[in-house]
This record gives sequence, structure tokens and C-alpha cells, in this order.
Amino acid sequence: MTTRAIQLQSRSRRRPKRHRPGLRRSIVSVVCLLTALSGCTAQAAPENSSSRGDAPAGQSSVAPARQGRPAASQRIEFIPERLTLPGHATAGVLPAVTVDGVLRVPEDVEHVGWWDGSARVGEPFGSTVIAGHVDSATEGIGFFARLLKIKAGDTITLRADSHQLKYRVTSVRTVAKKALATDSQAFRQTGPHRLVLITCTGNFHRDRGGYDSNLVVVGKPLGVAR
Amino acid sequence: MITKRAARWVKLALLAAGVLALAGVTISPSYAANDTEIYIVQGLPGKDLDVAIDGESVAKDVKTAAVAGPFKVKPGSRMVTFSENGTTVLENTFSIKEGSKADIVAHLPASSSGDPLVTVYKYDAVKVPKGKAQLVVSHVAAVPPADIRVNDQVLFANIANGESLQLVVPVATYKVSIVPTGETKPVFFGPVSLTVKGGAINRVYAVGDPEKKTMNVAVHVITASTTGSGKPSEVNTGTGGQAVGDGPSLAVNLVR
Repeated sequence: MTTRAIQLQSRSRRRPKRHRPGLRRSIVSVVCLLTALSGCTAQAAPENSSSRGDAPAGQSSVAPARQGRPAASQRIEFIPERLTLPGHATAGVLPAVTVDGVLRVPEDVEHVGWWDGSARVGEPFGSTVIAGHVDSATEGIGFFARLLKIKAGDTITLRADSHQLKYRVTSVRTVAKKALATDSQAFRQTGPHRLVLITCTGNFHRDRGGYDSNLVVVGKPLGVAR
Repeated sequence: MITKRAARWVKLALLAAGVLALAGVTISPSYAANDTEIYIVQGLPGKDLDVAIDGESVAKDVKTAAVAGPFKVKPGSRMVTFSENGTTVLENTFSIKEGSKADIVAHLPASSSGDPLVTVYKYDAVKVPKGKAQLVVSHVAAVPPADIRVNDQVLFANIANGESLQLVVPVATYKVSIVPTGETKPVFFGPVSLTVKGGAINRVYAVGDPEKKTMNVAVHVITASTTGSGKPSEVNTGTGGQAVGDGPSLAVNLVR
């Protein structure tokens, strides 16, 4: 399930579900038919054959219980879909999965990847981690080559649907690739919420087909997600 | 929308049929498909309550701050009765949709001079990020709108009786206290240590009355399926060398 924002969820929860008894009944009969064919002795009991009716007698005079509801201060948390760097440069953000210890960022260098094990935007704790190509042998310069120019104090915006949260860059560091997970704490999911952008930098080793370092940009949220 | 849903139903039906065929055992499909469930949260201080759904007893002597269940119910309009020693304390109807879950809470109103009431908190079976917990706090105590301070910060702000707030938090033990909205005292409750369970929905209910020293929490933990992949050890995001002017195809360095 794609949890976009809790507020949206709770809104959709209030929407009445459409009932299509005809379809459901026909599916029940399909199941019955198949189970009969399979030779098992399942007792097909459609929903409406229960001893309990939909509204038991004597209920009409009883008042309905109060409905619990979200407080107005419910925090918005969302999976980022768009990232905007200074100068209005915007890239699409796709979920990125870790496979065998390697974060699989989008092949398309104009997209960046949100590590799906990291914090959603607006959570109170943990890093929201987004990584993207600085360049690629097949596609050339990547969107995150722009990070080579970013500096402390710059603003980065993450958005999804109508929600957004801005971050102020607090540090830009070059970290040896092997030390990324250990020394930089880039992937830390405890502590105050922050944004961590990762790309490659340092010396390019043509023989190894890659760079020897990662560039790690850290940003602090400006307020809460809206 | 409708065709998508229909397709899902057909898929489900085929899957169910397949499972039944493979299993070759006697089961009742209507029961197997029924995941409409309720839990009872007993938030009334000093009472051991018996609980009935549609007149049928489901739990006896449920103590203050205890959670009982799950109880499978038929979707639709149901009736819950809380009684003590054969006398009805509370009786209300509630509606529940197929596949939904709800906590049915008997509790005090915001003002301790008012009558107890039943509040129904409905929720879905959401996925929880790996190594984290979904924390849902609900205010069902005899206190005015409150802030819930976690590790000395307001994490849940201005929450009134009958309301709830939710967050995803790392697995840890938190110091929790309840204070009036925007204030730091009087402390209605706490501080207490609360350890959240990872990969689960942790539903926490603040119950009781601080004036009678009956404040407490009822905690309902529901194991959830998790989402998200593990922590990476490597991020390789440059294979061309163009960004440092060492590329095979592009000699143009756009950024420097």
C-alpha cells in the first residue's frame, strides 16, 4: 500500500464503500463451484445466511457510539515524489530498494531514488534518504551532478500531491565510499528527522567504472510537512 | 475503479478456490474470509465489566485498562453492551465494514462529572516500516485537551477526548507524560516509560481521572506486515565520469 499521507487516508476512510452484492454473490458461486469440483467438503455460506441479521431486533432504540476521530494537529507524513533544488531544478523521486547491500537507484539519471527503508517526509525521527546519479556511462550527466554546487544554507523542497516540506542544507561532506554506511550515519533512522541526499564524487576510476567517494548533503526540516 | 475492484475480487476468489482445492480439508469459506474484528478497551476506572455483542457474551470481568479480543463480528450495524454484576453500564450501536477493525472503548468523558461513554476507533491493517512502530495515541480520559510530551518534546499536540493522533517512530523506550495543551503542568499523567513494539501498530489509550488518581494507559499492540528494504552499505551513483570531465562520451562538464 502506498501510504501517501495519513490525512488522506483518514479522509478516504470516511468515504462510504459502494456495495455490489451481485458481483460478490457471483464470486461466491464461483468459489462454491470450484470447491465442489475439487472434491472438498467446504460449506459455502454466503454472507447473508448467518443467524445474525444486519440489524438485530431491539437495536433501534439504542444510541450510536461516538466515533473516534483524528485531532486537527495530525502530522502529515508522505513518500516524496518530487525534489526541487535551488534554481527550481526538479526531479521525479522513485522508491529505491536495497539489494545485497547496494541501494538500487533509478537507472534514468533524471530521476532520483528514495530509499524505501528510510523515513517518510515529515516523520519526527530518522533520515529521509534520497540518492541519484552524478553521471552514467550510458546516459551522461545526472540530475544530482547539481549537488556538486550545493552549499550550506540552500533550500531543498520535497513534494507529493499537494504536500510539501522544505529543508535547509546544514552540511555537505565527501565520504569515502566504504565509510558511507558506518561513519556518515547517513542511513540512521533514530534521532531528529533530517534529509540526506547522496551521490558520487571524488576520483573517477575508469578501470573500476566508478568513483571512490560519496557526496553526502544533510538538511534540517523547516517546520512540519504541509 | 470498478473494473479494477472486480478484477481484484475475481483474483481473490480464484486464489481462495485454489487454496481450498489444494488443502482438501473441511473449512467454511465464510468464516475464513471474515476478518472483520473488534477489540474491547476497558477505560472505566474501578470496574470489572462484562461485554456482550448483539446480546451474546464475549468477555467477562474485563479489568480497567485491559484490552480484550479480537472478537470476529459480522459487518453491519452491531450493538455492544457493557455490564457490571448484571447491570447495564453502557449500551451503544456501532457500524463496521467488512474487513475493518475497530477498538470499542468504554471510558470517562472530558469532564469527570459527565456520564461514561463508548467511543469507536476504526482503523485499517496498515503496513509498518521495518524496525519502526506505528504509534497511535488516543485521549479517552477525564482531562481537557492535552499535549502528549515524548522525551520532553510535544510530539502529539492539543488532543481532546475522543480524538487520536498517529506517528511512525523508531523502536525505543520513550518517556511519556500528559499535560494541558500548551502547558507543562499540572502533569495529568506520567512520566512513564513506554516501549513501542516494532513492526506493529501500538494503540495507546490514556484513561482515567487525574483528580481521583486513576490515570492509566491501555495498550493494544497489533502485529502488522512490514514495508521497506534493509539499510544499504553501498551507493554507486556514478559510472560515467563525465561530472569530473573524465567521461567516455561527454567532454562537457556542466557543473564546474
